[in-house]
Amino acid sequence: MTVDSISSVCNLGALDSLSEASINEILESWNSFCLITETIVKGDDAKLKTSYLKFQDDVCSLCKYGLRSLVEEHFLLSLQDMLEKHGAPKFWKNFDAYNNVPDPEVDDKNMQEDEVELLLCKALEEISSEKQYQEKCLLTLVNALQLCEASDTSTEGHAVDTEKIFVSKYRLIVSSVLMTTMPRHFTEILHWYFKGRLEELSTIMAGDYEDDNESQDDNHPRNMDIDGTYDQKKIMENKLVRNIGMVVHNLRNLGFTSMTEDAYASAIFLLLKAKVFDLAGDDYRTSVLESIKEWIQAVPLQFLRALLDYLGDSMSYLSPKSTKSPLASTPSSCYQKSGKPSEGIVRWQLRLEYFAYETLQDLRIAKLFEIIVDYPDSAPAIEDLKQCLEYTGQHTKLVDSFISALRYRLLTAGASTNDILHQYVSTIKALRTIDPAGVFLEAVGEPIREYLRGRKDTIKCIVTMLTDGTGGNNSGPGNGDSLLEELNRDEENQESNSLDDDINTDDKQTWIDIQRWEPDPVEADPLKGSRYKRKVDVLGMIVGIIGSKDQLINEYRVMLAEKLLNKTDYDIDTEIRTLELLKIHFGESSMQKCEIMLNDLIDSKRTNTNVKATINQLSQTGGDSREHEASFDILNASVISSNFWPPIQDEDVKLPEAVDRLLSDYAKRFHEIKTPRKLLWKKNLGTVKLELEFEDKTLQFTVTPVHASIIMQFQDQKSWTSKNLAAAIGVPVDTLQKRINFWINKGIVVESSGADSNDHLYTLVDDMADGGKSVTNNEALGADDEAETSVASVEDQLRKEMTVYEKFIIGMLRNVGNMGLERIHNSLKIFCATPPIYDKSIQQLQSFLSGLVAEEKLELRDGTYHIKK
Amino acid sequence: MEVRQEATMDNLSPEQQQPSNSKHPKPSPLPVDTHSVTQRLQKELMALMMSGDLGVSAFPKGESIFTWIGTIEGGKGTMYEGLSYKLSLQFPLDYPFKPPQVKFETMCFHPNIDQFGNICLDILQDKWSAAYDCRTILLSIQSLLGEPNIESPLNSSAASLWSNKEDYRKMVHKHYAAGETCES
Repeated sequence: MTVDSISSVCNLGALDSLSEASINEILESWNSFCLITETIVKGDDAKLKTSYLKFQDDVCSLCKYGLRSLVEEHFLLSLQDMLEKHGAPKFWKNFDAYNNVPDPEVDDKNMQEDEVELLLCKALEEISSEKQYQEKCLLTLVNALQLCEASDTSTEGHAVDTEKIFVSKYRLIVSSVLMTTMPRHFTEILHWYFKGRLEELSTIMAGDYEDDNESQDDNHPRNMDIDGTYDQKKIMENKLVRNIGMVVHNLRNLGFTSMTEDAYASAIFLLLKAKVFDLAGDDYRTSVLESIKEWIQAVPLQFLRALLDYLGDSMSYLSPKSTKSPLASTPSSCYQKSGKPSEGIVRWQLRLEYFAYETLQDLRIAKLFEIIVDYPDSAPAIEDLKQCLEYTGQHTKLVDSFISALRYRLLTAGASTNDILHQYVSTIKALRTIDPAGVFLEAVGEPIREYLRGRKDTIKCIVTMLTDGTGGNNSGPGNGDSLLEELNRDEENQESNSLDDDINTDDKQTWIDIQRWEPDPVEADPLKGSRYKRKVDVLGMIVGIIGSKDQLINEYRVMLAEKLLNKTDYDIDTEIRTLELLKIHFGESSMQKCEIMLNDLIDSKRTNTNVKATINQLSQTGGDSREHEASFDILNASVISSNFWPPIQDEDVKLPEAVDRLLSDYAKRFHEIKTPRKLLWKKNLGTVKLELEFEDKTLQFTVTPVHASIIMQFQDQKSWTSKNLAAAIGVPVDTLQKRINFWINKGIVVESSGADSNDHLYTLVDDMADGGKSVTNNEALGADDEAETSVASVEDQLRKEMTVYEKFIIGMLRNVGNMGLERIHNSLKIFCATPPIYDKSIQQLQSFLSGLVAEEKLELRDGTYHIKK
Repeated sequence: MEVRQEATMDNLSPEQQQPSNSKHPKPSPLPVDTHSVTQRLQKELMALMMSGDLGVSAFPKGESIFTWIGTIEGGKGTMYEGLSYKLSLQFPLDYPFKPPQVKFETMCFHPNIDQFGNICLDILQDKWSAAYDCRTILLSIQSLLGEPNIESPLNSSAASLWSNKEDYRKMVHKHYAAGETCES
């Protein structure tokens, strides 16, 4: 541009001095120049040679008059014109056939692929040769200009640059012309082309790769053997790569560098994606990350390496990779050969690996729910996911996607609490692998916990999960197995910790901890403390659902009591074991009551033998009644310290006289041995094993005392009305009706409506012929087919606990007047600060208050509670 | 504990001769431990609540434990049977060394209660002792209703009417009804 401006200034000065002759000379030279330019640009090679001298003269004379820029521009314009009118349309015409090929027709595409390849190569070669010719023309002009410069020293300086400037200007023209005229489908064609080539290469490489794998153990000797096939493959590969290289080179020359790169990059990525999908699939039992990485090394990187090498060499038009050794296809040896991989390759590798990680991660995250469902089996998939996430850092994606999957698939009314808990435990374990600090687990676990808190049976299920499976009955695939395992493992961990209990360990451990310190992930909630406090503990997280371990322990106590009360032998080994495990986690003091319960059973065993032994001694010496002697053997008592047991349901029942006498004798003896302690029987609790003798057969049952006394009454009297029977046993009629159903279901007693509609008649079935069948069927049900418990449930206990506050609440409302739920809750919190300290949740309070409303002690109007007057 | 406090109180009692009518009791010369006062009041509240139905109850009015609302039901067989009176109790910061201010909020026709609800009761003034608590105060007031001290009346017309049971009962109910309508 500076040249131009200078010359134009000159022009202005020179304009006046122009003579007629010089004007004529200029015009002549110009006309001649234009003519020659036109002809040579049209591609008349012969003309170029013959008219070269004339052309040079014209150029020189024009330059002399300072019209150099005009010359240059005219020449370039004519080249551009030529290209626009002939070169480009001809080039694009090749691809017209593919203009309207609809994408979805895959078959069609495959068919045409070879064609496309040939066509593309041909077209590219054509246009390249045309371009070469034009460049030659350009060089002619440059030469001419340079000659002029040589004679005229005034415009020195840019002699060397002239060629460069022209070539770059020309390139710009070429690429802009092509770009502006390019049909839209050309990118697709390029894409097809690269895809096709890559797939071809991939199949070659895959064979290669497999062969290589096979021969890896027996190394070089084998390599020599397979060299034949290997070379063939090499040749094919080289040919292919050269082919591609050529295309890429030509495309680059035409100025399609970025478009080409896009095309093969997207082809590679597509192929990689397909490969990842293919390898990963729906199988979570194997780790696929390594094989994906190997594949990246084996196929796309090989391809790129070859391509880049070729392009690097292509300037000198050497045949690429002439010295490639057979071993070169394995990545490691390739590195050895070239020493260090080039920067471009490394960058590509990183890009590809990142893409692979991301693809795999997305794939796994989408299926995370299923993966966690089969957790212990799907550990490899989890491990893969962990590595991917370490690379990509997209943990939040995992959290979001998994939470929505949970909400959609797990946290629904249809899912059983046990399943949810099981999945929760699996989630904890699986995510612990991915994220040892538990930050994301915190986020994922919260919705589950939130949901579980809304379920009434959560605590029960948790306790069952915890304790079942410890029961030693490996028959059922109990969910508790996994939790027991967890408890046991923690126990072992603690043991191993205590083993190397050196004085130094603390210091050492601290030092190790310090060295291991890492900042929290950015997603961590700073409110939740440092990661070391946040250590993932499955049991802790489960207890976290309930909120406090006290509730859990309470529920466990109730269940334990139920279990212990129904025991006929004193075998409590499994319970002791469970208790020991629980103690480790919840501390000795909180499990104290449960321990006392177990101790009661142990003591009972001792006391029982003691009492029976002394009674037998007495009866032998006294020779009092032979009946007792036999009877005491069938009686086993559990002596419990009821202060430490959960409240026990009390129900009056009259036992048969013989049994009753036995019990009172036992109690008397107990009192003698253990003065001043007295035995108070809970006659409704316990189990009775009894045998019913019929004429033709005997049946055995294990039932509750109430059931037993009912059937005992039929021993002397075949038929009872419900009122009389209830009186005889000492229970209300409705209770009797509930209980006697057991025997009716067994087909041992039949019910018929008596004279009075309220008074049913129960008759013993003597002839068991018809009832026998149902007996055998139902026998398995045993005594526990009714969901009745001997221990007050946790809900009942809560109610009892709340009763303490009833007076408080009534007093509050009486004095202060109407109050809303929240205000009552807050007042209780503020003012019930001395024991019994108010520690209930607002939901518990609400349910208690609605109980009071139901009892008509309170009224609920407009959201506030009043005293009912 | 409380016995010791009582002993201390005896020593202090001369200073406390003047009736504590002012809204803001003078700050005690002793250092005040609000926390222990709060604790004591909470204990009293709990004891009162748990003591069962004695016809007296009270509960903090708002979130402060120093201001309570009390309810007294007229004792059986007295003129006040079937009526329930609201009282306000304001505990000083140096409670229990000083008595709370107790006033009737419901209009009450009684020889020892004036028209503003002020009560003339010895244990709320010079006979106060730290051994008393909220429950004993309320019970004393309840029994005061049935057994007024005619000798030193705040409401002389009530005192003069006391001997006439029928008229007295009428007046009590009239005032009570007036108070009720006033309130509502």
